[in-house]
Amino acid sequence: MVQQILSSVFATSFLASVFRITAPILFAALASAVSERGGVANIGLEGIMMISALSGVLFSAWSQNALAGALGAALIGALIGLMMGFFHLKLGTDIILAGIAVNMLGGGGTIFFLYLFTGEKGNSASIPSRMLPTVDIPLFKDVPVLGALSGQSILTYAAFLCVILVYILFYKTPLGLKIRAVGENRHAADSVGLSINRVICIALAISGALAGLGGAYMSMFYSMGFNANMVAGRGFIALAAQAMGRGEPLGTMLSSLLFGAADALRNNMEGIGLPSQLVATIPYIITIIALSLYTAGTMNKAKRARKNRALRERK
Amino acid sequence: MSNENRLDLKFGILRGAAAILVSIGVAAILIFIVSDTPLEALRYMLISPLSSPRQIFGVFERMIPLMFTGLAVCVMFSANQFNLAAEGCVLLGGFVSALCAIYISMPPVLHVIFCILMAAVVCGAVMMVPAALQTKLGANVMVTTLMLNYIIQYVVQYFLVNKCADKSQGATMSLPFLETAIIPKMKYQTSWGFVIGLVMVLLVSVFIYRTRWGYSIRMTGVNQKFSGYSGMKVSGIIALCQVIGGVLSGMGGSVEVLGYFDRFKWRQMPGYGWNGVTIAILAKNNPILVPFASFFLAYLGKGCVNMSIYTDVPAEMLEVIQAVIFLFFAADKFLAKYRQRLVVKQTVKYIDTKAVKEVAK
Repeated sequence: MVQQILSSVFATSFLASVFRITAPILFAALASAVSERGGVANIGLEGIMMISALSGVLFSAWSQNALAGALGAALIGALIGLMMGFFHLKLGTDIILAGIAVNMLGGGGTIFFLYLFTGEKGNSASIPSRMLPTVDIPLFKDVPVLGALSGQSILTYAAFLCVILVYILFYKTPLGLKIRAVGENRHAADSVGLSINRVICIALAISGALAGLGGAYMSMFYSMGFNANMVAGRGFIALAAQAMGRGEPLGTMLSSLLFGAADALRNNMEGIGLPSQLVATIPYIITIIALSLYTAGTMNKAKRARKNRALRERK
Repeated sequence: MSNENRLDLKFGILRGAAAILVSIGVAAILIFIVSDTPLEALRYMLISPLSSPRQIFGVFERMIPLMFTGLAVCVMFSANQFNLAAEGCVLLGGFVSALCAIYISMPPVLHVIFCILMAAVVCGAVMMVPAALQTKLGANVMVTTLMLNYIIQYVVQYFLVNKCADKSQGATMSLPFLETAIIPKMKYQTSWGFVIGLVMVLLVSVFIYRTRWGYSIRMTGVNQKFSGYSGMKVSGIIALCQVIGGVLSGMGGSVEVLGYFDRFKWRQMPGYGWNGVTIAILAKNNPILVPFASFFLAYLGKGCVNMSIYTDVPAEMLEVIQAVIFLFFAADKFLAKYRQRLVVKQTVKYIDTKAVKEVAK
């Protein structure tokens, strides 16, 4: 059995499925990174992904264009982000509670609206939605291992491109500097004349748009059309990935890949006859272990630094 | 009560009512969009749950699990711990007590107590995991508990499907519970679990407001660092409140399963944990207000179910209403301008009367 697992892990198709599975988590984890660096914890990602998954299907069915669907999903995600910002900044709702509210809308609200638009409560099979196109990269297509990089959906490439874009946003643009400043210390940023409300709203809107793309990916590529509860905790896993990546784009990508690999492994192990329910717990268990190990490491480092500083001061 | 306190209370009630009105208003707008018979749908949603004793006891029946999870979340949020595993603990508690109810035979009343206790113990123990990870390793409790929920769900599914399913039934469910383990009905379909819930409300209220531990929990919620400096064992308190949360939600799952069903049928998390968060917000983390908040939520839930049975509006409306209540009820600055005006008016009046008194002297 071990051999079976190993041989399937080292197949090109496994690598391809890792990328396919990582993409939605990566979108959401980057979304979480943008808001977290702006000093607000966006735990509504799960809900935003659900709502965007539904709106992507609806927009693509109306326009008969998959890209229009994805853009519509991102737009809706951004609007929800702005709404969270409005309630947090103008009305003083705790941002975590606002996130839970968005998750509730994502759980029950999507079924409600699905019923409103299609008359069904389980899935969107009755409406003619479009799927996202895949892209072949001519150079890699026939090379053994790199072949996994070819033939992915257009949004998969976009997800990994977004890692670079978010990096540029954080470290090469004035807006990114403002976002980081506000996240570092809201009051200090305020005192040097930054409009913190505007910066946080922009960060939440970007965050929502990224999560929206993740949602569109779920309903327009990962599976055909919208299903109730289809995001299945990916928005929450993304929070963990972001926490492990410390909100850095590259680190976030690596930890997202870890979760993607865990999930892909699960699919493979189900194939060879292990009980599917127990295998399904693997990504969640890995998340808890990895997060704990990671935070334990940083806590130790901080403790050691404090001890060293104390020693130095005594001298 | 001083003038300011009275003003705060008055304003708090006013703002709560406004938040509820806004959410029901949003619901009404949605109903008018969706439904062919909007007025009838509204009538079913708002009036039918209170229209007969049978309906009112139906609301009580829905209150039972909500009171437990509401209390659990109240205790954990009082210490400012965003532990969201109440959801998973309800499922786990229900399953553990179902196992005890099927495979262990005992005399009548004792059996029920044993099942509930087992659920409480197991869930309390499970909650030690995120609590320990948080206090010892610094792992964010919100993230770990969200993950824990899914782990619990799949593990319960595994045992239910592979180990204890009743193969003679069409759908996946356990064997029937032994007669001795079923909580008897109080009236109509409402079990005595309702009374157990009310007793727990009293116990938790006393615990939170009248004991040293309860005080430490509340103080840790107000200012964790200060509590640490003043000599409280903060990490112990953080662990304690989460274990209590687990115990309460496990009991809730157990009481619901033994009082409402005759077999274990949950294949997914039933959602009571999230409702518990709503209740804690409505009750402002005050355990004594939990029955009222759960009554309100159960009333809305019953109304939405009635509406979906008799009209064309889906019952998921409840989640939409809950989300809107959430956003407005937790909004500290909602109607803040109005409050400002009230304060100004009162102060002006106060100064005027004082001036009149001075002149009279």
